[in-house]
Amino acid sequence: MSTLESPLAVAESENAKSAAGPSRSASVAELPVAKAVSPTRAALRQFGKSPSGVAGAILLVLLVAATIFGPFIYHVDPLEIVGMPFAPPDADALLGTDYLGRDVLSGLIHGGRATLTVGAVAALITIVIGVSVGALAGFFGGWMDSLLVKITEFFQVLPPLLFAMVLVTLFGAKLSTITLAIGVVSWPSAARLTRAEFMRLRDLDFIKASRAAGAGSWHLILRVALPNALPPIIVSATLAIGVAILFEGGLSFLGLGDPNTMSWGLMIGQNRNYVLDAWWAVTFPGAAIFLAVLAVSLVGDGINDAVNPRLRRR
Amino acid sequence: MPVLAVENLSVGMTGRSGGLVPVLENLSFTLDKGKTIALVGESGCGKSMTALAIMGLLAEGFVVTGGRILLDGEDLLTARPKRLRSLRGDAMSMVFQEPMTALNPLYTVGDQIAEVLYYHRRLSRKDAAEQAVEFLKAVQIPAAAQRAKAYPHQMSGGMRQRVMIAMALACKPKLLIADEPTTALDVTVQAQIFDLLAKLQDETETAIVLITHDLGAVAELADDIAVLYAGRCIETGPAKELAASPRHPYTSGLLGCVPHLTVGVAKPAQWHDLGEIPGMVPSLGQRGPDCAFLARCANATDVCRSRPQPPLGAIAPGHTVSCWRAQEIAA
Repeated sequence: MSTLESPLAVAESENAKSAAGPSRSASVAELPVAKAVSPTRAALRQFGKSPSGVAGAILLVLLVAATIFGPFIYHVDPLEIVGMPFAPPDADALLGTDYLGRDVLSGLIHGGRATLTVGAVAALITIVIGVSVGALAGFFGGWMDSLLVKITEFFQVLPPLLFAMVLVTLFGAKLSTITLAIGVVSWPSAARLTRAEFMRLRDLDFIKASRAAGAGSWHLILRVALPNALPPIIVSATLAIGVAILFEGGLSFLGLGDPNTMSWGLMIGQNRNYVLDAWWAVTFPGAAIFLAVLAVSLVGDGINDAVNPRLRRR
Repeated sequence: MPVLAVENLSVGMTGRSGGLVPVLENLSFTLDKGKTIALVGESGCGKSMTALAIMGLLAEGFVVTGGRILLDGEDLLTARPKRLRSLRGDAMSMVFQEPMTALNPLYTVGDQIAEVLYYHRRLSRKDAAEQAVEFLKAVQIPAAAQRAKAYPHQMSGGMRQRVMIAMALACKPKLLIADEPTTALDVTVQAQIFDLLAKLQDETETAIVLITHDLGAVAELADDIAVLYAGRCIETGPAKELAASPRHPYTSGLLGCVPHLTVGVAKPAQWHDLGEIPGMVPSLGQRGPDCAFLARCANATDVCRSRPQPPLGAIAPGHTVSCWRAQEIAA
């Protein structure tokens, strides 16, 4: 993190101060001092300099805004039959209708709510499980590490899509089940990342210094190590959103979507047989998924560049 | 009662085969209020191990195999972990060698000092922050109020070490362990840090365990010296006496390794007065009952080779040495 700031901010020479002595401390106190910039703010500033990151953020904000405010402007029920099936885009249905005669634009708007929510919540579950497991394993080491790594590996060797399908089949194709299933199958990579970070941090001097100042394990994990491990975790969380959106699309495409809640994946899944008759019923939700995943990936890369300036591609 | 009494402390490392390899053997010393004891010796002699054992922060694989560590009469080795946590940073604290990495990069230095006060002294966040500024002033950081809002990376090494000292002394500990506090700093700053430690010690009456390679500083700052070699204490005594008349060949060897510069004279083609101790500290597990310094000792005789290392024996009041030939060498 320390590389975020210019080294010019280093304080004035030690020698000057000792030469001045305590009697002249009043004049010393007026020396200009570089303004402190918090690492978070510095990272945000750095993020603002990344064109692709900013573009991704704008795209993401637009998509989220469309799904939030869309229903207030475009009053069409996504599950209601509004016209003939496969009506091409025209004035009645701006983006056409699907195989049941439902409005595609309304589906996009309402489906976006579901898809983006699934993505965000599933990513949150992924990160919460992954970070907890990884932090405990990496920080404590020993038998705790062995045990947690074994559990992580157990989850990692299961093919995630297959595992998620089994979970959804077992517990019913509801949006909540789907979200949980995605979170449960995708945490191992977050756990491994966090574990590696904590193992690196565990032996750093400032952790030892905090311990020597009386900090207990929980304080060290939550207040000292975790904030320092956050940058890669934030990046992986952002990318996890994209993966979760794709996952939801994949599950719905395979017919395991929640039929009572419109989502982008469900739209593709239900209309995939008619793609040659009504390209719009599949293409628009596909494009929406593409844009959403692109947006979070760009944001993730932007954050990555902001928190790891040394790794930035030039 | 001494602030710190280390009695027959032994530390072992769990070896690969499961056995215990001795790292520190039978170390004893006491330290009174306001006094400083210096632990000196080469790298790998067990100085830092002693410090970590006192703090109860030995790394995984190292265990205390015997002895007692009494802080104000309280045995730290039998204390519960919770009690130890409340003692650390409060009654005893530690300054580390590497100021560049010993501060958390994500918090301002003021916050980091305030954190200690907040936890140990139960001050409000606001009072703790104000106190932190006072401590920054106490360690002679100019523009302390602004500096408290600075992040560690905005400070020089000397500044950061001052911050570390401020943090360590924030709760007015009875015991401060300074583990090579100046090794990573440049020479002019080293002197300032030692002066600062001496000044603050006068004010707070903190007892200091100083671990250092800097024998010049030892003579100035320390009241007593304990020389460690291969995990054993081989000579202890008042700093001035020990520096003036070392009795153990290793101690005199160490003192001989300090270069004496003469101003105005270019570096001589050959250092005549700069000593060298040939060989290396025997590695862990290679230490037998005989004198650990035997292989490197220029004064070793058959007398030394035929017997195990002697216990510390008094040679003058307060001055003990572990050498079969101490009397002869002194003469």
